[in-house]
Amino acid sequence: MRRETVVDLAPNHKTGLTLANPVMPAAGCFGFGTEYARLVEVEALGAVVVGPVTAGPRRGAEPPRTLPLPPASGGTGERLPPASGGLGGVLLHTGLANPGVAAVVRRYGRAWGRFPVPVIVHVAGTSPNETASCCWRLASVEAVAGIELGLPDTADPDDVAAIIQAARAVASQPLIVRLPLARAEWLCEVAVEAGADALTVAAPPRGTVWHETRFFPESLVSVPTHFVTGRLYGPFVHPLALRALCRVAKLAPVPLIGCGGIYSVEDGLAFLRAGATAIQVGGALWHDPACLARIARSLPPAVEPW
Amino acid sequence: MVQTDALVTGVEQIAPFVRVTLAAPTVAAGLASGRFVLADLGGYLRTPLFPARIEAEGFDVLVPPGHPAAMLRPGYEVNIIGPLGRGFEVPTTARRLLLVADTAHLLVLLPLTRPRNQVFRKKPGFSSSVALLLSAPTAAELYPIRHLPPALEVHVVTADGSAGHQGSPLDLFPDLVRWADCVCIASDPTTYPALAETVREVRMLPPLAGGDRGGVQALVMPPLACGVGACQGCAVQVARGTKLACTDGPVFDLLELR
Repeated sequence: MRRETVVDLAPNHKTGLTLANPVMPAAGCFGFGTEYARLVEVEALGAVVVGPVTAGPRRGAEPPRTLPLPPASGGTGERLPPASGGLGGVLLHTGLANPGVAAVVRRYGRAWGRFPVPVIVHVAGTSPNETASCCWRLASVEAVAGIELGLPDTADPDDVAAIIQAARAVASQPLIVRLPLARAEWLCEVAVEAGADALTVAAPPRGTVWHETRFFPESLVSVPTHFVTGRLYGPFVHPLALRALCRVAKLAPVPLIGCGGIYSVEDGLAFLRAGATAIQVGGALWHDPACLARIARSLPPAVEPW
Repeated sequence: MVQTDALVTGVEQIAPFVRVTLAAPTVAAGLASGRFVLADLGGYLRTPLFPARIEAEGFDVLVPPGHPAAMLRPGYEVNIIGPLGRGFEVPTTARRLLLVADTAHLLVLLPLTRPRNQVFRKKPGFSSSVALLLSAPTAAELYPIRHLPPALEVHVVTADGSAGHQGSPLDLFPDLVRWADCVCIASDPTTYPALAETVREVRMLPPLAGGDRGGVQALVMPPLACGVGACQGCAVQVARGTKLACTDGPVFDLLELR
């Protein structure tokens, strides 16, 4: 059953971006939308966020790309039993593997048109030119209701303004900007001034791990030796992202999307109480695809900011 | 592919392993050797489980005693996602199937050792045979040979010589690969370059009809996050770029792997 709640992520944009409820998957976790077709009740969600996409094809990072992090003690999600190995997290380094925006639209555009909820495409905003190229290609795709722009983790205010303005100049859809976690507070006002209709707080933090070549008989896995840097996923991200959103909420006069370490209804509620209009669920989706619909159905119709 | 709760209907010690029987008819119907399910066993990421035996109503998995699945007890429910991946494909024209496994990976190939799974779907009177090259550090770590089908030809290699041939599986592999017309490998991937070199040296025949992954197929299982191709995290290096273990594999053409 569809919730009555309606949120608008782009009230100042000519088309707006209204969602029947505030829950959606996070970019980089949901593929291009078709991978989870048999496992996720898309109609229960507010929207789906697909991608990332880049202007041209990218082969992505060399393996290994997925490195399980050492388990933490305690801290379980709502459905997870006390962990036999504890709950840790994972470092993921894909190198933005994707076939390029043109191929993505060709392969998935028709499927997006059949989705019962708005489709938001995440564009990796690596440079103003590449961003503009992607947004220009997406501007004419009717099935794309919004664009979420990812920023480089090292972006400074000038970079952010240039990338967003380049996107704004060609994009016809509402523009959501996903802020790097460590710089969210510093960059949020610039992002809004440059034309962001909404902000996602925040991108997963980055980390580096040293991994030795080891064979794990229990998982039939061999992992080679070297440093690997990538994005970190796990429940430990939640307090970091929540702190960032609390600070951004005081500065940015646009709708905010809370993202980071959401593994339960309570995690999502914390973001909404902190001022988020919507939430994105990331790594929890991999462990339990059904959690997206469960969280969407369990959230109360209205949450007053604290 | 579904997400469902599987009921644990049996747990049995088969030293040095534990056999866990799971009832999940909707998943079992699509399983095959090399295909897998992702099970919620309490860790951050789900744990891949390969079927060692497949029946209509469910499947068995074989795990070492320290494995999280070994803690399961009859009556427990385990949330699983599956069936996932592309398994081993034995062409209908194959007559001599060689299975190569170390003891940790043997379970992945066990469905191919069982006549009732009809590895060879042949016309009556068609002659075919299956051989297994099984390696382990010591005899104590070997899968019990008595549990394997009698018709299976088993070649055992142990590093310390406590059972079978003393040395490396590479000692016996060249002769066996000359005999075989289809080879399925599930072992530590660090051994694959040497196996591939042997296959090239003996100039094994080109791929048999019926499969697109060559006459020598090998299992590669990097850590998985999503299992459905959404996260792009399980890349495997191949001759022309990368493929995903969860959707393109986890079984690949050995000669394509890099």
